[in-house]
Amino acid sequence: MSTAPTSAHPAISVRGLSKRFGQTEVLHGIDLDISQGQVTCVIGPSGSGKSTLLRCMAFLEEATEGTILINGEPLGFSQAPGADRVRLSPERIRAVRANIGMCFQQFNLWPHMTALGNVSEALKTARGVPKAQAEERAMAQLRKVGLEERAGHYPSQLSGGQQQRVAIARALACEPKIMLFDEPTSSLDPELTGEVLKVMRDLAADGMTMVVVSHEIGFAASVANRITFLDEGKLLLQGTPAEVFGKPRHPRLDQFLDTYLDRGAAMLV
Amino acid sequence: MIIDFTHIIEQLPELVRSIGVTLAIWLVGTAGALVLGFFVALGLRFGPRVVRWLLYFYVELIRGTPFLVQLFLLYYGGPFIGIALDPIPAGLLGVTVYGAAYFSEIFRAGFDAIPRGHVEAAQCLGLTRMQIIFRIEVPEMTMLVLPPAVNMTVILLKETAVLSIITVPELTFLMQAIGSQQYAFVEAMAVLACFYWAMVSITGRIGKALEQKLSKFTFAHT
Amino acid sequence: MSWELFALLVQSCGLTIAISAVSIVLGLLIGILVSGAMLSRNALVAWCGRTFVSFFRGSPLLVQLLLIYNLLPVLGLNVPSLVAAIVGLSLCDAAYQAENMRGGLNSIPKGLLEAADMLGLSPRQQFWRIKVPIALRLTLPALTSEAIMIVKASSLVSVVGVVELTRMAQDLAASTFKPLELFAVAGLLYFVTNWVLSQLGRRFERSFSWGIR
Repeated sequence: MSTAPTSAHPAISVRGLSKRFGQTEVLHGIDLDISQGQVTCVIGPSGSGKSTLLRCMAFLEEATEGTILINGEPLGFSQAPGADRVRLSPERIRAVRANIGMCFQQFNLWPHMTALGNVSEALKTARGVPKAQAEERAMAQLRKVGLEERAGHYPSQLSGGQQQRVAIARALACEPKIMLFDEPTSSLDPELTGEVLKVMRDLAADGMTMVVVSHEIGFAASVANRITFLDEGKLLLQGTPAEVFGKPRHPRLDQFLDTYLDRGAAMLV
Repeated sequence: MIIDFTHIIEQLPELVRSIGVTLAIWLVGTAGALVLGFFVALGLRFGPRVVRWLLYFYVELIRGTPFLVQLFLLYYGGPFIGIALDPIPAGLLGVTVYGAAYFSEIFRAGFDAIPRGHVEAAQCLGLTRMQIIFRIEVPEMTMLVLPPAVNMTVILLKETAVLSIITVPELTFLMQAIGSQQYAFVEAMAVLACFYWAMVSITGRIGKALEQKLSKFTFAHT
Repeated sequence: MSWELFALLVQSCGLTIAISAVSIVLGLLIGILVSGAMLSRNALVAWCGRTFVSFFRGSPLLVQLLLIYNLLPVLGLNVPSLVAAIVGLSLCDAAYQAENMRGGLNSIPKGLLEAADMLGLSPRQQFWRIKVPIALRLTLPALTSEAIMIVKASSLVSVVGVVELTRMAQDLAASTFKPLELFAVAGLLYFVTNWVLSQLGRRFERSFSWGIR
């Protein structure tokens, strides 16, 4: 996978992002840049808004205020300086989204298709790739995540870890420039997280731009180029793992890490 | 197509009478079906083996055959075994017997849906069989059966139209006569359909309101 | 009962089954389209879908059949009574199928559709490639009871002159003066047909669920 940056812009650029659900403000004016080819881990306590932030980046949630730029292109809304936000057309949204691949906590594999079917579906239907070619490319992706013998299996016949790897293969098949991971291992039994984290590590080593929301602090500390710490909807800390985790630590971060000592954060203490 | 509703309006007295017949057979028939169905459900659950067998056959036969065939059997075949009924009584009996089979299934499902634990708790506390049935199971079952029971009541209203085929003088019977006499058959059927449609909608809304009122008695499991 | 009478009844039972089968298939196809309409973002289309379902579920099938049977010639469509009967049955069935499908479509986990969004599938592609296949499998059990309902409902097409099982029994009863036997046997034939249907349904449900809860 090529590591050449696709543009001079940051991969993702978030400006003034706020999100309200009814009366509750979940995100407060977030400003964030994700650089090309870098792995950014978003960590924080439950309710800090990290999943919401990620979903806003994918336009699965519509931010109440602020803009998102993907490789310099606005996603969902465009906003000229000093003007109101303008909603973009579904075609524009789809076009910009094509740069992003998303991996969900619940895998979200389609139960009525085999692993191969799931991975090749978007190529066939959304991209118009002929069936044979689509399935070839899909098999290549399944090979990369180590699941080519399972190509003919249905999701109900796969373990959680296998399902998540298929889900990653499915997202990768469309050759996105950026991969978003929304708590990819939170639904897995502990023994199965390893296989998924390995795939993610390999992806990072290949130079993929990744944004990972996760509780796996060990993964964050060892793989991430940047750590972003969210608390109560605000961006508290940003920096390299050394900067963020190094002592002296922000008290809120200390509080948060206390609960994760047994999750591999022990190495940081 | 010339829409001419004056012909229909001219026959207002007959209309009122036949609507009355429809409503009477529907409401009385539904009430009878509910009561009969309830006892059938009780019999199926608590009765002796022979009774359970007979009731099981009854329910399966009624639910597995068309209402119209049942009516024909009763109205045209009845006299051969000594049951010679006029249209209205035949219609009433038909609706009651038909509805009861379906209601008994609804009650059965309701009984089955009561959490075992509630009954066990009552047993541990020393309530007798009779007490458990009438103080615990029946009240709980009543709340559970409300939506499907309302649904069945609506179905019975629609089925009263079929009674016209055995010459019961209800609304469909009258509107067919009006329609063909006045060469306004399509208009008559359209009005007829809308009448039932309105009645069904109203009944549905009443049912929803009832469900809302009783929902405070339901627990997390429902 | 003589063999000839029984044979006639069985023959007309075959017509009943044929009419029911065609109506169920047509009803399912129309029902899928209507359920799609009901979930459309276009307010007018959604309203049309909902009204269609409300009307055909809210009025008696008998009245619908009489209406359609007499309406078609007025609209210039002079079709045989069999066609009118099938149209009426199919439309009524479609409304019930649409309601079943709507429930199925609504119960699909949102995440599956978000994944489709992210992978660039358009709403129409999502409907036909993801939503409908899954909803169909979810509503498969309802399909069997739907089929049984239609077989029973088909008895009403006797009033528009189609000589299916009920009408045959009626005609034979009128000429032989043996209503008791004829309607009893007709009822039995309906019963057996429905029993076979429910058995088949149970077998199919098991093999077509494909692990979808």
